[in-house]
Amino acid sequence: MLAPVRGAVVPRARTTPAVALFPPADAPFRTGVGAVQAHHGEIVQGLFYSADGALEHGLVTLPCGLFGTRARFRPLRSGPLTVEPADRGRARTAARLTLDALGRTGWGGSLRIEGNVPLRWGCGSSTTDVLSTIRAVADAFDTVLQPEWIARISVAAETASDSLMYGPERAVLFAQRRGCRLLDLGGPLPAVRVLGFNTEMDRGVETLSLPPIPYSAWETEAFQPLLGLLRRAVERHDAALLGRVATASTVITQRHRPKRDMPRLLRLAREVGAVGTQVAHSGTVAGFLFHPADDPAGRMAHARRGLRHLGVRHSWEFSTDLQPKPEPVS
Amino acid sequence: MSGTLINASFVDAIALPRMVRLRPNLIGLSFTLMKLLPARFIIRKALEEGELRPGGLIAETTSGTFGLALAMVARLGGHPLTLVSDPAIEPPLRRRLEDLGATVHIVRRAGATGGFQQARLAVLERILEENPGSFCPRQYNNPHNPASYAPCAEQLANAAGPIDCLVGSVGSGGSVCGISSYLRLMSPELNVIGVDTHRSVIFGQSDAGSGRLLRGLGNSLMPRNVDHTAFEWVHWVGAAEAFRATRRLHREHALYMGPTSGAAYLVAERWARENPDGLAAVVLPDEGYRYQDTVYDDAWLAEQGVALDGTDAEPVEWDHPHDGDDAWAFYRWGRREHAEVMASADTLELALR
Repeated sequence: MLAPVRGAVVPRARTTPAVALFPPADAPFRTGVGAVQAHHGEIVQGLFYSADGALEHGLVTLPCGLFGTRARFRPLRSGPLTVEPADRGRARTAARLTLDALGRTGWGGSLRIEGNVPLRWGCGSSTTDVLSTIRAVADAFDTVLQPEWIARISVAAETASDSLMYGPERAVLFAQRRGCRLLDLGGPLPAVRVLGFNTEMDRGVETLSLPPIPYSAWETEAFQPLLGLLRRAVERHDAALLGRVATASTVITQRHRPKRDMPRLLRLAREVGAVGTQVAHSGTVAGFLFHPADDPAGRMAHARRGLRHLGVRHSWEFSTDLQPKPEPVS
Repeated sequence: MSGTLINASFVDAIALPRMVRLRPNLIGLSFTLMKLLPARFIIRKALEEGELRPGGLIAETTSGTFGLALAMVARLGGHPLTLVSDPAIEPPLRRRLEDLGATVHIVRRAGATGGFQQARLAVLERILEENPGSFCPRQYNNPHNPASYAPCAEQLANAAGPIDCLVGSVGSGGSVCGISSYLRLMSPELNVIGVDTHRSVIFGQSDAGSGRLLRGLGNSLMPRNVDHTAFEWVHWVGAAEAFRATRRLHREHALYMGPTSGAAYLVAERWARENPDGLAAVVLPDEGYRYQDTVYDDAWLAEQGVALDGTDAEPVEWDHPHDGDDAWAFYRWGRREHAEVMASADTLELALR
């Protein structure tokens, strides 16, 4: 039985945390690095009851190894804190907050971020910048921060955050506006093959400025059964159940933030034998999910033809399988 | 949910059903008192939405299990409760309601039109008018009734995964329409079978005639919470079959449930037998204690002409809903609106004439 994470583990306050055991003032430092894999939108996003019965916005992301960000941070005892590219203000804020958290208030340094996460598609580009920055700054002082601290700094730096700090090894229901776990699902999501695409061609949306969806009372309650089925999907490594949860969340969100051609995309997914359709609930990417053992290649080829008919020319494939592939026996 | 959890209240402890395997492909959702789910949720939402003030009066007309559930929730929440009922209310239930602090207002005279139901509604409206800030849950029309069943759907989805068929008796429309609306989000192909009784208006019969011996399902008025498009099939079950099935639940499964549970079990058992590769769940709404002197009393059953060891006739398939005797009948409703089914039934009756 999974118990919800209680408030005692993750304090509610949205201020910068003080790390109890930060490195001593005279500790050596070096150039730190941090790398973070992005995601491909969510399996589910909605409202969930926390342990104390309050409703919280929450999500479970779909990890995606195609996209990622790498940050390098070289600290300086004094001087400015510079970031490259210069428009990554949130990463700069995150670096400042992390320095504060490590007892290095007033320090500066140079931060450099590179990566291939598409902007405004809902793949967590802003979060990957911020997370890789936090990790790089911590690494510069040879410190590894707990995911809970990373989550809080991340939310403080960008108002809403994804659950990427937990990595793909452990799926969590994450309160993106509070920056804490609502539920640890106890394992990774069941492995799926994903055919991803952008429903708005190559355009995106400004995800951080989107207001919360005004879910109806019925919809608000609906996320409970979805979470019940998702827990079963994780416990049983059942990709088909994961697909059902993703499709249901997509259908609810479509009522509020309609994506182009979604009814036809959902029909196409059924026709080609996908186990489900997931979306970036605040973004423009979507993915058809395929069972890894049920002819994913053939079904994806079929799906690509269908997507072209709907005017979607670009698509990409990835797998969420964490297991290393066995070497062929020679 | 968790067996290791200490519940905040007894209502929270017993609101969700126990899940029992009645056949290899049939799961019983065995409630202690199903109406706790809508009573708890409707009151919580009324407080959230400002329709009910903390400590404010709740008033409702009921002589059934919804009244008992309301009395428990109101007592724990510190709300005074007035229940408008008629002389038919069973004395043990009345004593229990009053012990929970409820005021039970008995309407002594039936109205000139609409019988006791109309008279009770008139008294309820007067009480609500005389008490500004009071709140009436209106279980038949309040959309929070069906929405309150999401935790039940969560429990079922988590424990059983997607199911093929949901069977339940229909009275307010809350449980079956609510649970199925959530299950269909994850299993759009879900089959839903509604169980009604003769002389109930819900699925197109008239309530004229000798009344309904089988209580707790069916209705003389059409509840807005019945979403007719939820139902693929409808069964009309008579008292004799329902009572026998209620006793079978007890004799074969040690499940001491009320007759609405028996009616639903009768229909679910048949579906499970005929669909060995499918998985069904059946809603069993309340326990048998209220029926100790009726359904669980062989002498009473004999007085009603119900032979406990009698065999059930096979149900008859109807080609349109119509009034009939008490024989078990069923009809393919086909997830249509009430008006649509009635219009096609009228056309069919004209053609047959």
